Amino acid sequence: MAIRPKPVRVAAVLAAALLVVAGCSSPTASTGGPGNSGTLVVATAGEPDTLNPVLNYGVDGASLIFDGLVARDARNDLVPALARELPTVSADGKTVTAKLREGVLFHDGSPLTAQDVVFTYQAVLDPAVDSTLRSDLDMLASVAAPDPATVVFTLKYAYAPFLQRLALGIVPAKAFAGQDINKATFNRKPVGTGPYRFTSWTPGDRLVLAANETYWDGKPANSGVVVAFVADDNVRAQRMRAGEFDAAELAPKLASGFESRDGYRVHKVPTADYRGVMLPMGNPVTGDPAIRKALNVAVDRQAMVTGVLGGAGEPAFGPVPPTSEYAEPTIAGKPGADVAAATAELDAAGWKPGPDGIRVKDGRQAAFTILYPATDSLRKELALAVTADAKKVGITVTPEGLTWDAITPRMKRDALIMGYGTPYDPDFVSYKLFSSAFAGQGFFNPGSYRSAVTDAALQAGRDNADPAARKAAYATFQKQLAADVPWVFLTYLQHTYVLKDAVTGVTPRVEPHEHDVANSIWWNVHTWTKES
Amino acid sequence: MTGRRRLAGAGTVVRRRLLVAVPVLAATSMGMFALGAASPIDPAQQYAGAAAFTTSEENLAQIRANWGVDDPLPVQYARWVGNLLRGDLGWSTSRHEPVTSVLASRAGWTLLLVGTALALVLVASVLLGTLAAYRRGGWFDRALRAVAYAVQSMPVFWIGLAAIAVFALSLGWLPAGGLTDITATSTDPADVARHLVLPVTVLAISQAPWFVLFVRDAVAESLRDDHVLAARARGLPGRVVLFGHALRTALLPFLTLVGTHLPELVGGAVLVETVFSLPGLGAVTVEAALGADFPLLAATTLATAVVVLTANLLTDLAYAAADPRVRLDD
Amino acid sequence: MTDLALPARVRRLRRPGSAGTTVAVVVLAGVVAAALLAPVLWPLDQSAVDLSRTRLAPSADNLAGTDDLGRDVALRSLYGLRVSLLVGAVAALVAAVIGGLVGALAGSVGGWVDRALMRVVDTVAALPHLLLGIFIVAMLRPSLGAVIASIALTHWLSTARIVRSELLSLRNRPFVDAAISGGASRARVLTRHLLPHVLPRLALATTLMVPHAVWHETALSFLGLGLPPHLASIGNMINDGQRSLLTGAWWASIVPGLLLVAATLALAVLTGRWRDRLDPRVRAELQL
Repeated sequence: MAIRPKPVRVAAVLAAALLVVAGCSSPTASTGGPGNSGTLVVATAGEPDTLNPVLNYGVDGASLIFDGLVARDARNDLVPALARELPTVSADGKTVTAKLREGVLFHDGSPLTAQDVVFTYQAVLDPAVDSTLRSDLDMLASVAAPDPATVVFTLKYAYAPFLQRLALGIVPAKAFAGQDINKATFNRKPVGTGPYRFTSWTPGDRLVLAANETYWDGKPANSGVVVAFVADDNVRAQRMRAGEFDAAELAPKLASGFESRDGYRVHKVPTADYRGVMLPMGNPVTGDPAIRKALNVAVDRQAMVTGVLGGAGEPAFGPVPPTSEYAEPTIAGKPGADVAAATAELDAAGWKPGPDGIRVKDGRQAAFTILYPATDSLRKELALAVTADAKKVGITVTPEGLTWDAITPRMKRDALIMGYGTPYDPDFVSYKLFSSAFAGQGFFNPGSYRSAVTDAALQAGRDNADPAARKAAYATFQKQLAADVPWVFLTYLQHTYVLKDAVTGVTPRVEPHEHDVANSIWWNVHTWTKES
Repeated sequence: MTGRRRLAGAGTVVRRRLLVAVPVLAATSMGMFALGAASPIDPAQQYAGAAAFTTSEENLAQIRANWGVDDPLPVQYARWVGNLLRGDLGWSTSRHEPVTSVLASRAGWTLLLVGTALALVLVASVLLGTLAAYRRGGWFDRALRAVAYAVQSMPVFWIGLAAIAVFALSLGWLPAGGLTDITATSTDPADVARHLVLPVTVLAISQAPWFVLFVRDAVAESLRDDHVLAARARGLPGRVVLFGHALRTALLPFLTLVGTHLPELVGGAVLVETVFSLPGLGAVTVEAALGADFPLLAATTLATAVVVLTANLLTDLAYAAADPRVRLDD
Repeated sequence: MTDLALPARVRRLRRPGSAGTTVAVVVLAGVVAAALLAPVLWPLDQSAVDLSRTRLAPSADNLAGTDDLGRDVALRSLYGLRVSLLVGAVAALVAAVIGGLVGALAGSVGGWVDRALMRVVDTVAALPHLLLGIFIVAMLRPSLGAVIASIALTHWLSTARIVRSELLSLRNRPFVDAAISGGASRARVLTRHLLPHVLPRLALATTLMVPHAVWHETALSFLGLGLPPHLASIGNMINDGQRSLLTGAWWASIVPGLLLVAATLALAVLTGRWRDRLDPRVRAELQL
């Protein structure tokens, strides 16, 4: 009955097997099989909760199933889609008129009319509808259809980037007749006007789409798209390696494993998706400008890009991405850490090193907590990197991983790793994040940052239709942020995708924070082909 | 004569079990609601996801009001029970579809996974355990016990990842995950079977130690029993003694073990479903728990409780059928 | 002298189970000692992030290499094992206290109290432990306390059953009858006569539960519902290291995994020996 060291040996053999596998990089047999060669298979982590644009699906367009009045091209410039030409804005900026394209059909064969557009936008505004999109359209007073080919939007106030809000997919009004929009079967079996018609959706597994042969913009170059939903990064990478997908989004470090593999290529797509540390004004340590400025130069952004992001990113110094025409180049600092500058800043402000190396001023230690959402490993790693950098200049940071509901009540006092960003207009996220009007309101401006200069600049950018005036306003805004440091911006991410070499027609464009079925590298998948 | 009386006893047992099951299920559902009420998680914020970042507080409050989640707990509970009795399990706020359709589309796959794995475990553990007990102390017995202890110490997802690494990535024999080939347009049974080989085997292996060790110990024990020794003394061949006497005595308690071990098996299935990205109830339950989605959580919990209670009843009946000494109305 | 020593060693090896037990004792003692003494033996910062030294293969400087953030895997694994064993031991103890109290109440009072309590036991037993654990952690928010609570609240059933059935079978024994007829109070009978019989079984059940509790912590961490993710625990480390497995950095998940397997395996072998000396009835109840 003696067991001997047998079990240990079994474990060792298993470990050795794993070792061999991990070290081995020989191409594996394809288990997926070519199947329908005209169908493309893409894999993503994020699965939409619904396929109804009214309930927040593919709000910024590129939703594959739907079209908005406008769409975005490869440079994210607006182009007409269901609207015949870009909608016109009245002189006072409060009336926007769109003329519909003729002969557009929904997938069920019924024609698109202005009533469908009106229905879509009214549904978003309807309080009985559980749409989070309402907050983005709070400038919209009403929508009307004076004739079947014309839609008129009436705004409560002039809002310069309003056309950017018109990429929302249009749904057919009659599909919802007599139904509660929140629970309509349409949300799982959508009908749109887009390049692909809906075939089936198995939540947690896949969304199957077939080419819309009668698409108004020409029929797709392939016969269909399957979007596989694989939440786990590792599983997605394993299945990509097994040859199941034509394209997959992968974490940078996992994607880098494909760079040397035959038959695959890696795309690093620039984004407006930033990460940074929000420093609340209500905390006596982070509320001190010297601490904020010292941290801003003490963090080693380049090391974060290399070490945490696996090279897929670039240092961030403000909320407007470098790819945007509104980006202000002068705010960029050094990509590496500048410990000397940080030390000088702290010394000058009276933060003197204590016996344990932690700086002290007026009996208060330079110590604070950085919160991060526990499920987000990227934000966790950034929080740990900031902690290590802060330690080098005598500031003690305690990272704490929590759920969002536990984070929310603490945002006024504790620092937080935040992230967001859209490439479409600098007003979109920043207006609510940095206006004093939104100080302390939920996620909008949780640190209660207040600056009259910033407020005025953000308002000018929103009110002015003139591009030059807007550019000047956002330059002022970015410079003021760089001076006040309400956030320490860390990095812009690059979304990394692995594609099979056989796939052609891929045109990456700058991506927003949110990307899953919609707005990923496959935004124009209807022009992709696959060589067999 | 005994058959008839036994059958009558079975009716009593079923009735008695049902009388117990209803309060158990009621208590479970109330417990879930009470725990949920203590939770600080805001379902509206969960629903908004990343959009919570740009969604105003009024917007979220309106959504909460639409759902009635701010109603007092007894009101919510009464509403849910009322709907339940009318066959409506409610609306899943995390999946955005009726709970019944979540259960309908997913429960089958979880049942298939658990059922197949259980069958595999039972057959394998009876065979291996009996063999080991028959030659106790032999190399096979020692090796089996060593492996069983080792496997018991390994997290099931670790075994799953190793299996994927070896059989899917390195050898390329089997798919790494999913239920059907990703380009398949229909659910072809052969395709599903191929996709389920790894998950079922991993789940079975991870659960096998308990069963194997139990069978081995029980058979070894019963080989020392009086009536087994007597059979041996009568000069019956070893195989007859083993299968005719020892195994039968040993397997009776084994049936009970199956019933009590079922919850553990379901827990393993949650992890296996996650590793192999299977669209079963496991992943959706984790999601529901994080989203404070009471209707779905309560439904999945009640559904698994019903399955376990039914399994316990069945093992009771099987136990009685197998062993005339057990009186059912006991 | 060697002539004398050799037969003794051979005899020990021949005695069933002793070699396995010896190995188990050595492994467990070594691993646990290293984990417990880690802060004294290697007073280094296990959480020190160094982005210039990420994913280095094992070498003389870093015996088990470094992880994604340049932390030393060997050191972190030992700290992780400390946390995991602590979580496992505390959770098992809490479970034993809950189960012991419920079982003692049911077994000593009997009647409807016994029936009601056993009904509660049946209810909890009918729910999948992991699902219930997930629910509890999600409701209490992932943290050390929540993980311990979720394990303890789902694993007290076997101890409750053991204590209850021990008490029930002891109540009819002559020495208990004698004590009661001798005028001893119920409390005195319980503490003086029954407890000494029940405690060893309770202790065994608790020890058996430790590896299971550690496994539970790992599973919760794997699902993202475990300990705070920057905290070194075996579960978190395997979880973090999974990603590295595919990119060739096998040490980040294999080393903590092996440490866990070694520790829990040794623990299981030892408790298995202990269990083997008990009668089969109790053994069946000890199946978790």
